Amino acid sequence: MSVGQRWSVEQVEAIAPSAASVTAAHPLATLSCWQGAGVDTEALWGSCQGSGAEPYDTMVDHVRVGFACTCPSRKRPCKHSIALLLLWARGQVAESAAPTKVESWIVRRITVDRSTVATTPNGQAESETGTDSGVSADDPAGPESERDTEASPDIDRDQVRNDRVERMFAGLTELDRWLDDRIRTGLADASLARYSTWDSLAARLVDAQAGSLANRIRRLAGLVGASPGWHDDVLAELGMLHLLSQAGRRLGSLPGPLADAVATSVGWQVRHADVLAGVPDTDQWVVAGRSDTREDRIEVRRLWLRGTSSGRWALVLSFAAYQQALDTSLEVGTSVEADLHRYPGAALRALVGTRHAEPLDGVHPPAHTVAGACDELGVMLATEPWLDCLPVTVRASLTRSGSRWVLTDDTGSLPMIESAHSDAGSGIATLLAVSGGGPVDMTVEWTPHGVLPLTIHLADRSIDIGPRADDSFVSAA
Amino acid sequence: MSIDTPVPQSSPAQTIPAPTIPAQAMDDHWRELVTVAMLGTDRRDPPEPVGPLADLVADTVRTAPSERMLAQVAACVAVRRAGVLPGPPVDSLAGPAPDERPPCVPAAADRWHHITVSWPVLEDEWMLTLISNGWRMPPELVALVLRRHRRDLVRRTRAEVACGPLAPWLVNQLPELAAPTNKVSPSPESIGELPELPIPPDLAALLTAPGDESGRMLRAGIESGQLGPAHRAVLVNLLARVRPDALLDLAKALDSVDQISPGYGLAVALADLAKTRHQMLDELNP
Repeated sequence: MSVGQRWSVEQVEAIAPSAASVTAAHPLATLSCWQGAGVDTEALWGSCQGSGAEPYDTMVDHVRVGFACTCPSRKRPCKHSIALLLLWARGQVAESAAPTKVESWIVRRITVDRSTVATTPNGQAESETGTDSGVSADDPAGPESERDTEASPDIDRDQVRNDRVERMFAGLTELDRWLDDRIRTGLADASLARYSTWDSLAARLVDAQAGSLANRIRRLAGLVGASPGWHDDVLAELGMLHLLSQAGRRLGSLPGPLADAVATSVGWQVRHADVLAGVPDTDQWVVAGRSDTREDRIEVRRLWLRGTSSGRWALVLSFAAYQQALDTSLEVGTSVEADLHRYPGAALRALVGTRHAEPLDGVHPPAHTVAGACDELGVMLATEPWLDCLPVTVRASLTRSGSRWVLTDDTGSLPMIESAHSDAGSGIATLLAVSGGGPVDMTVEWTPHGVLPLTIHLADRSIDIGPRADDSFVSAA
Repeated sequence: MSIDTPVPQSSPAQTIPAPTIPAQAMDDHWRELVTVAMLGTDRRDPPEPVGPLADLVADTVRTAPSERMLAQVAACVAVRRAGVLPGPPVDSLAGPAPDERPPCVPAAADRWHHITVSWPVLEDEWMLTLISNGWRMPPELVALVLRRHRRDLVRRTRAEVACGPLAPWLVNQLPELAAPTNKVSPSPESIGELPELPIPPDLAALLTAPGDESGRMLRAGIESGQLGPAHRAVLVNLLARVRPDALLDLAKALDSVDQISPGYGLAVALADLAKTRHQMLDELNP
């Protein structure tokens, strides 16, 4: 029997929810703390004597990446799972046959995973990382629900759900109180410059099942002092957080689709299987743009698809922890006839279901004027003003307005996002070289801070110039 | 980015025109909100909401200044985002001088990416073949090439020749791409010649040998263990300079190295190098 590829210590540390979790796990990563530890081709398991009277039963799916533990921690993976992985990474866990309980857990995970295999390549990380569209990823066999069912199979699911809702509402109330404090004491308050001010709130929001809001808070921390106009940016985001927290606390009185959109934007998790069970949106989907961003210790890939018939946009996400691969099954500049299954509400985010044909090359979405692009963005933002990342295809020239790059045509101009490093190393340089200052069709990502070029669409091909994940962090697919 | 003026309507079916706020008034109001936010509502009360915004945030439940302020900020941001309007048109840049040379095929651009990541030893030949066959650099590579070759003057000069008039134009727009100016210009001979690569005398004979013969010898050497990972650097040099018409035979021979041979991994890598160089020359030769 072979246990497959053993993880490295770096890979274990990369999936930990925080550095503190790794620190807490290290004392437990000794054989003396564990009973019945074992590993096979799919799973790791063992019982760890913790602070409770009974030992905690821990199981790790090291192939599809999933965790279950009977400990009361809300963190996933908990310190016991990390400790068990560390033991394994050091070669201290013996190969053996899995106990029945572990086997049945793995079978359930495989069953769920098969239904999502079209959209989640093997080994791809699933995380609670929120995205710029204000939605969150969910594990195929979600850790929270998994823990609930593993620990107490007979537990009333409605009660579990009510508990989650209650925790989320409490988190939103706390968020609003925190926002109120910021507004009372002012943005010039020195505490804003301390990362702990934001990080502790983010951690509490994760506990409160509001992972997407937690990610927004962490991103917001990065805006403080980042530009001369950071006060504008931070205040605007505080306003959007207030809007979401208020809407989240009134979910019951909102119209259905809006309630769904708010819930997913707050971080309410939806199982892949539930999404894939929804009515498919079948179309010829043009892969118009790609953008990779690092969120904490997870690389997030956004793929923007546009329906040829419907003209609707969709967002397909993939995630990779350290040395894992991002989804490369959708290539920019191609189109594929496929079923997309949208998340609840009028969500942009979708999962790819059945693909009906091989991808076609040399297609791109129709381009708007600059004014037309603003109209399209305005319609999407009027529906969900908290979205902070939207795609649009525009035909325009790149030029300078003062010190800033802008896209322009005779209907107006749109500012480009200011590069954090150098324009020479960004998509702007390639866009400039390819266009020679003339008009070209391009797909861009709108953000409140400006637009980011993702793809240049030429007559015979598309050039992918979106920000790309660091090769030293993610592995090739 | 300026803003549109309509306040979002509660229903798309509404027929009464939406009340509007002058864009300038909304901008002014936002600036007031930012000022108050800087100081904090403990020190300064929030401004009175303007126009229809007042109706939008009217709420008797919100009594604390901070609550009224947050409601105004949220409403104001939502209106500004949903009402996004383009800024005024801006003059376009004057383009670069025309370059009469045709751009090379897109596959050559993809090959350049593969070469720079996996086989940088081929980059000089890629560039010189491109120039000598009268192609111009694919525009999507120009910024990458100029940034990559800022310090090595020989390669920089080649890159500028390959990029044509686009290079100085782009450097003018993005001065970070400029090369240091305090170096001596390279000689014309060094620009046009491939750099010599060290190849041991016992392998040098393979440079001009027919492909089937050199392939047979390489395969035998790798399978017998005479050529192993320690020889990788010189074998790479050999394949980077071997006569082009031998490349396919060499790749075929390397692909057929016994999988249980300790040098199998090396053979696979060298076969990729041989194929890459063959495809590179195929794409760049008319």
